Order: sequence, then C-alpha cells, then structure tokens
Amino acid sequence: MKYQKPTINRVDFALASKYGSPLKSQKIKSSIDGVSVNELTKEYGSPLFVFSQRAIEEKYNELHEAFSSRYPDVQFWWSYKTNYLDAICQVFHNLGSKAEVVSEFEYQKARRLGIEGKDIIFNGPYKQKEFLKQAALEGAKIHIDHLYEINDLEDVADEIGQEIKVAIRCNMDTGIYPQWSRFGFNIDNGEAYEAIKRIYEGKKLILTGLHSHIGTFMLNANAYGQETKKLIELKNRVEEEFGYNIEYIDIGGGFASKSRLKGVYQAPEVIVPSADEYAEAITNAIFEHNKGNLPKLFLETGRALIDEAGYLLSSVFASKRMPDGKKSYIIDAGVNLLYTSFWYNFDIMLDKRYEGINEPSQINGPLCMNIDIIAENIMLPPLDRESVLTIWPAGAYSVTQAMQFIRYKPSIVLIDKESKVHLIKDADDLEYIVEKEHMPEVLK
Amino acid sequence: MQKLNFLLKAYFSILFLSDCKAGIVLLALSFLLPSVGTLGLVAIFSSIIFAEIISVRDEYLKHGFYLYNSLLVGMGVGYYFDITLSTIILTAILASLTFLFTFALNRIFLKYSIPILSIPFSFVAMIFYLASLKYTNLLSNILHRKPLFDISLPLEPFFKSIGTIFFLPYTISGLVITLLLLLYSRILFLMAILGFGVGVAVHTIFVPFCDAVNSPYNFNFILIAMSLGGIFLIANVRNYLIAMIAVAMSAVLIDSMEVFLNTYSLPVYTMPFNIITILFLMLTVAIGYKYYNYNPKETPEKSLNAFLSSIYRFGGNDIKINLPFIGEWSVYQSFNDKWTHKGPWRYAYDFVVRKNGKTYKDEGHFLEDYYAFGKDITAPINGYVVDIRSDLPDNFIGNVDRVNNWGNYIIIYSNYGYYVEISHLMQNSVTVNIGDYLQVGQIIAKCGNSGYSPEPHIHIQVQKYAVLGSETIPFKFIDYIHNNRLNYYKLPKTGEDIKATTVDKATQLHLTFILDDKFKFIDNRDKEYTLTVKMNDIGEFYFCDGVNKLFFYLDNKLFYFYEYQGSESYLKELFKIAPKIPLTGQEVEYEDTLPIDLRYNKIKSSLMEFIISFNYKLFNKKEIYKKDKLKITSKYGELSFCFYEKGFNSISGKNFTLKRINEENSLNR
Repeated sequence: MKYQKPTINRVDFALASKYGSPLKSQKIKSSIDGVSVNELTKEYGSPLFVFSQRAIEEKYNELHEAFSSRYPDVQFWWSYKTNYLDAICQVFHNLGSKAEVVSEFEYQKARRLGIEGKDIIFNGPYKQKEFLKQAALEGAKIHIDHLYEINDLEDVADEIGQEIKVAIRCNMDTGIYPQWSRFGFNIDNGEAYEAIKRIYEGKKLILTGLHSHIGTFMLNANAYGQETKKLIELKNRVEEEFGYNIEYIDIGGGFASKSRLKGVYQAPEVIVPSADEYAEAITNAIFEHNKGNLPKLFLETGRALIDEAGYLLSSVFASKRMPDGKKSYIIDAGVNLLYTSFWYNFDIMLDKRYEGINEPSQINGPLCMNIDIIAENIMLPPLDRESVLTIWPAGAYSVTQAMQFIRYKPSIVLIDKESKVHLIKDADDLEYIVEKEHMPEVLK
Repeated sequence: MQKLNFLLKAYFSILFLSDCKAGIVLLALSFLLPSVGTLGLVAIFSSIIFAEIISVRDEYLKHGFYLYNSLLVGMGVGYYFDITLSTIILTAILASLTFLFTFALNRIFLKYSIPILSIPFSFVAMIFYLASLKYTNLLSNILHRKPLFDISLPLEPFFKSIGTIFFLPYTISGLVITLLLLLYSRILFLMAILGFGVGVAVHTIFVPFCDAVNSPYNFNFILIAMSLGGIFLIANVRNYLIAMIAVAMSAVLIDSMEVFLNTYSLPVYTMPFNIITILFLMLTVAIGYKYYNYNPKETPEKSLNAFLSSIYRFGGNDIKINLPFIGEWSVYQSFNDKWTHKGPWRYAYDFVVRKNGKTYKDEGHFLEDYYAFGKDITAPINGYVVDIRSDLPDNFIGNVDRVNNWGNYIIIYSNYGYYVEISHLMQNSVTVNIGDYLQVGQIIAKCGNSGYSPEPHIHIQVQKYAVLGSETIPFKFIDYIHNNRLNYYKLPKTGEDIKATTVDKATQLHLTFILDDKFKFIDNRDKEYTLTVKMNDIGEFYFCDGVNKLFFYLDNKLFYFYEYQGSESYLKELFKIAPKIPLTGQEVEYEDTLPIDLRYNKIKSSLMEFIISFNYKLFNKKEIYKKDKLKITSKYGELSFCFYEKGFNSISGKNFTLKRINEENSLNR
C-alpha cells in the first residue's frame, strides 16, 4: 500500500458475522455478465458504455409478462429517443417491440432498420408536412399533438387522396406534479373532445387511437390508473357520439427505473413500483371503465426497459485533496456523457476491494468546467490511478443525450447472452467530427 | 309426473337407486303378491295425506325416507293380511304412525349427520306384530300366500333373500331385483352377492349350512354390504373389507336378536342392518374418515367418479392457498427441510428470488443487491387480518434477529378455519391493518429481511391458531408455473423456480356466463347448434343444447367443467377438449384428468368404473392441455376465444368444427 495522507474519520462499530464485516461499504462490481470490467476497458478503451443483452431481455420479459398476463392484447413500442443505437433497437425489435419515434430523424432511422411504416408510432410536437406525408403514405400511426397538425394532416389527406388514420395525444390531471400539459390536448377542460369533434367535422381523418404520456419517472402507479380511466372514458364518449372505433389506447411510458432521483430519500427498491403494480393499475382501469370493444393496449416504455441494462465504465485519472479535506478524483467520464447526472444519483461501483477506510470524496469528470461533477459526496476508500469505476444505471438517455464536447464520444459495446462482447459503436475520431465542416476559401 | 316421481322414489330408494324406471319395475313387481302391492300403495298415500293434514309437505318432499319407511310398513302388513277394509284402515294408521316416528328420529339423527335408514319401519313393525296378536278377525293370508307366478333357478336362497327386502321372498322377484342392481350398479351387484356369500359363510361356522343359507334374515347381509360398500362409503377395496367385517358382525347380531325378539313374538326384519350400519357410520363420520361419501350421487359408481375427480382434478379436501407473490421466485426451503422447517413448524415454505443461480447481484453485500428485497407480497387467501407487526428493522446482510425470530409478519384468518402467516417483511411496508378483509392477490407488504433471516426472503405457513409461532398444518398451493407447466394443487420442491399465475380479466370476462346467454354455432354440416346457459334448482350452472347438460363453475382463477349428463354430443366433446380453462393470460401447459364416463363409451365406462374401485390409480390418466392467448389445444381438439366476444369462438374436435355465428353476447353488453 502506498502512503496516504492521514485523515480523521468517525469510527462505526458493528459486529462481524459469517459474511465478514458489516462495514461493507464498498460497492463492488468486478464484472458485467461475467466479463471483467478491467478487461473491457483494456480492450475497448475508457470510458466505455456497456449494454447487457441479458439484462434488457430480462427486464423486457418481466414487463411484458406483467401486462400480457393481465391483458390479452398488449404491444410494446420501443421509444427511440431513450436509446436509438441500431443494435439496441434491434434487440428490442427482435423481442417483438415496434418503434415509437418523435422526429423525422428517428422515423428514418427506424425505417432504415427495416421497420415498416405501420409498425411505427409517429409522435412529437414537431412533424413537418413532408414527413407527415411520408408517414401517412407508409401507414404509420400518427399521433396528433396540436390543431395545426390537424390542418396539416388534412392537407396531406387531400394531397394523397385518401383518409388518414390518426390518434390524438391527450394530457390530463392525474394527481401528480408536475402535470405534463405541454403535449396534446387537455381532457379535463374539454379540449381533447373539441379536437376530436374538429377531426370528425373535417371528414378527412379517422380517429383510431388515443394516446397520453403523463410524465417520466412516475413513482405512483395509481397515476396510470387515473390516466387510463380518463382515456377510456374519452374513448367511450367518442365511440358513442361519433361512431369511431378506437382500436387502441396508448398510455405512453415513464415507468420509473432504479435510478436514484436526487432529493428522494428512500431507496429505489422501496419506492419504485413493480411492473406488476403498474400493470395492475392500468389493466384494472380498462376493465372497470371500458364499454364496447376492448381496445389494444400500447406502451411506449423506454427508461424502465433499458436504464438498468446500461453501464458506463470509467477510469480514475488522478486524485487530489481539496482545501476542505475532501478527496477529489478525476475520472475520464464527465457530464458530457452523463447529462442525466444533474438530476439522478448513480451507483458508483469499484472494480475490486480497496484497502483503507472510506472517506468523503468527490468524483469529477475530465472537462475543464466547474459543473463537471459526477458525484458530489460519496464515501470511497483510497483509489488507485486507473481503478475502473462502474457507473450505473446509465442505459437510458445517456447515449442519445451524450455531448461531443471537449472530448470524443467513447465506444459502446453490447454483451450478448453468451457473455460475448460486441462492439456496437466506435469511438469518435477527428475525421468523423470534422467530416461535415467546411473551411471557407477566404479563410485559407 | 313429478307427483308420480315422489311415489316411485319410495320404491327405488329402498334399493339405494335413484331412477324412476327402476321404481316402476319395483312397483309393478310388488303386485306379485297383490296384498303387498296394494297395501304398500295405501301406506304411501296415507302418509302423504297425513303429512298434508298437518302441512309438513316440505319434509316428505325433501327426504325419501319418509315414504319408503311407510311403504315398507304397508308391504309388511300386506305380507300377513289380505286386503280388507280393516287391513286398509290398519295400514293407514300404521303408515301415519311411521311418519311420526320418522320425523322424531330424524330430529335426533340429524345432529350426528347420520341417516335413519329403516329404523322407523323396524319400530312400527314391532308395534304391528304385537297389536295384530289381538286382531283375530283379520284374515291372514299367510297359509295360502303365493305369488302370481314364479320360476325356479339355481341360487334360489340368494334370490329369495334379496326378494325378502320387498316382502316378496320368491325367485322371480329376487331375479328382477338382482338384474336391476346389475343394470344400475355393478358395485351394488357385487356387494349384494358378496354380502350374502360372506354372511352365510360366517354363519355356517356356528350353525348348520342349511339353516344358515335359508335364514329369512339373510337380506340384512345384502343391505349392509350395499350400504357400506358403495352407498355411504366410497367404493374401494378397503371399504369392501369394512362392509364384509360388518356383515360378519351382523351374522351374530341377527341370531341374538332372533332369539330375544322371537321370545316376545317380535320380528327382526331390518333391525340388524340398521344397527350395524349406523354404528359404522357413527364411527366414520365422527373421525372424519377420508373415504366417507360426503357427496352422494345417484349410484356408487357416480359417487366414486365424483370423489376421484375431486381428488385428482381439484386436490381433494386439503387446505389450498395461493402463492403470496407475483412473478418468479425460487423455493429455498419446503416442508420438513434442512434448516428451520422442523418439528411443529415443518409445514412451511421459504421463497427467494434467484437469477442465473444467484439471489443477489454484484457481491451481495447490501440488502438492495438481493432480488427479493422490496418485491411485492400478495394475499394468499381471502380472509381477515388478525395480527400484524411491521416495526422491526431489516437486518444487515449477515445479521439475524434472534429475539424476534418471525420478524415483521401478517397473520390472516381464513373462513375455512385456519390461519396463514407470512414473515420477514420489510420494515414499515405493511399496507393493511388488523381487521381488514383481504382478497387474493391484493398487495399487502414488501419482502424484507426482518427477524431470523440471513438474507431477504419470505416465509409462509398455515397454522392452527392465531398466535404467532403456533403449530403448522399441511397445505398445498392452488397453482404455480414451473418450466411453463401450470401445476394445480401441488407442492414445489426445494430449489425449483416457480412463477405465480396472474388472472387475465379478459379471459375471466369471456367465461363469465349469465343465465339464458345463448351461443349459436354452425357445424361443418351447416347445422345450427345452440348452447344456452341454465341453472338447476340447487344453483349449479350448465350449458344445455336442448337435451344434454354440461355443468361448469367459474372460480377465482379457474373455469372448469365437472359433470356431464346426456349422450354423445358436441357438449361432451367440449368437456374433453377443455375440462379446465385457467384464467391466466400466460401461455402454459397443464394436466387434467377426465372423469371415467367422458373417456369411454357407455359399456366400457360402466366396466371401468367398477374396476377402478379396486385400484384408484387407473383413474389418474393425465392428459396435457396447452393454453395460448386465446386458444386451448389438446389431443381431443381445439377451443378458441374471440378477443371481443364472450363465450367460445370455435370448437373443433376429431371430426367436427363448430363456429360461432352471431354476436349477441358481446363482451360488455
């Protein structure tokens, strides 16, 4: 052991047991699905995003089972924005998921992966007319967000000379805060009903679905019960009044994962509802309130399916003692890769057991920015240079929101069910980054 | 017609049968001696009139024994006297008296749940005997009584003896009765012959053979053997043996009663049968003998079939509870297992969650690393919460709480009289209160690590009393899925990964039938076939196609058919194709055992029902059924549902297909 500058710490007493000392305050993760984290970084560089196919499939099957065992017609739509790496999308499509996209870029990416138009839900507040036309021609499920879009779609319908099947996005009060009222039409004040009336009177669009997304990281399963109830009541009403046949209701996503939201005291194991609780609340509400034909149930779960299957491996680059006595580590992954660290606390795990006692530490990223802090207060034993830290869960949004800022974006690997490692994205290099740049002649 | 039924019931009940046609034959047969036939009828009518006068119609309508005791008294009078006005009056008086006796005795016997058999008849027969000693003016036909006709056959003593049951001790009557028994029940037939044989054989040990074989009271052997060997006890080898022991006892009892009663000019008649049978029933009812026939059907064969169905299809009378969780868990300890499930606490289960062979991720140093920690715990039974504790902390991994062994717990009382206890719950995770009524599947707490628990797990046991730590009793799990196989009423083994079933409410709605729901089908010969949902007077629901009936029941988690009445039909095929329909949305395989009458044609099944009484295992022939989302398939065919419609969408068997044609019974209408 190297020399460490002495620090003063409060000593905790606890009894030893057959499992060893209860002072097991070192969280250790030496391997992912049987592949050593040190070998991964040695082979593919550090930092490194790692995805576990096994974890994805387990989570998908758990959620799918929770719903399909309670409801006869359930369809999952992979939310592209959560993680649209080709390989990850393909894992979900192989499992039976279809695609949910929110932009023309995501739409094109899904089409590129061979997903047919009819298997794509086209969501979002910003859909240009030309892409609406493509989506309409290819039979995609277009979810209308605002009245302008109704006009646009009616123009498209005239242009292509056929009626277009559409769904509308709704928002409502489900008893949670904040209420997501930015998207779609409000049910509570009658806006959604008026929009449907408008669609009906336009006679160019056919309403076949109702969609809502009440928020993200929802810790209250009952909110989904409320949401479903309101959607079903709207369905009953428009079926009766306009004679529409609502084929599906889409209750969106937002199921919480085991990330620790900052400011939430209890552990995620305690407060995050299980898949069954979500499923029970949603399917009960349908059975309780539905009149007429049962609708298909669509889910656009993103975070809950992928977050826990993603890891970010990072290596300690340097350490220093700050003036207040706190130990500070500089690692090679920062907020450029973990945008979400502003609102989530991550589990940070060590690659092996380290000698020495825990002391208050801070983990900083490699950016030359004061805000680049991954963990502000964490108890860590003295780490070595090149110690590999596993940051988890990092599967949702971190790849799609990662910035090419100051440093190159890292490689990404997928570990398959046989514990084989596959490179699914190369690290950026200078060539790639400057590819689209142009130097005006005058500057040369 | 219904009134005629009550009349005939008196006749066939004497032979423990339940078919009007048998009643007609026996009624006709009783006129072999016209005085027996006539006064028998007089007795029935007079007790009906008596009952009507004091308006207790319900009583005699409900219970067959009111009328058959009177009938026996009437036939008894007819056996001794010719038909005259005075004998008719005497019969009427005695029959009414029998009614009173029957009523009074039934009051007493009811308390012990024991039938009164023909005790009232035995009493009134004694009264009749003693009184008639003074009635010298009555014309006795005892000297010139002869049947209208008779035949001679070997085994005459047997036929005469069985004929004596109806006061017709002739070969021809004995033959008819024997054939009736053979026709309706091979088991009763066997018992009649075996009872007679064993009784006479035992008797021969003590008296000369010709005395034994010609004793007028040998019919007691037959009645005892039939009642214990198939009617009141379930037909099997053990009960056949019990019946024969009873017969042997009665041989001695008959002699003793004969000596005693004849001293006072009293008849023995069916007294030995009544005494012996009731003594045996007293014992078997009191100890809760598992082969007592709690649910008697028309014949011993049907009772046996129903009994075996309840055991092999529905887990018998054992305590049955649901799994206390959702999703897939692994058995850590089962009954009588190696760590803590021992002695009075051996009937308990421990569950953990295991993935890839481990119960935790990473190094397992933290509670949160354990897959089970924080998982939902659900109510395993319907019942009231009687006790709760939820303040104990969850131990660090490696520590146990030796003081509060059980940790945080919930005790639930079942209406069936037992308690279910669940232990080691997470601190402050219990969401129900003492006194709450729980429904199966309701989330009540989270799995934790409180009490004597080295790592997060749950412990469940069924116990006798509400006290924490009271003695445990055996139970079974209603259903669980292991390797995609849905098991019913079984116990998983230690180390097995099992999954709880979830109820798919759409399937439940598909199978929630309401009275007079009609389902029209068209078969592959373009003929219409309509099923109607009906209910009988004891509240059993069935499908009826006009002639045949298929009885069904919808449980919390299971829809099943349990009885079929009728001949070959699509309904019978439906029973075979899907005898059980799990209400789960999961795609699973499961086993079921078809009742005997469903498996074979009439002749073969009547033979098999008899053979199975010697070896129950022959009943247990399992068929595999496969449930997909909206479909059940088996080797008998396929049953499918429509997503939007109640009822069955199509039924297809070996050489037929039924397709639904109208949409009247929409799911939510």
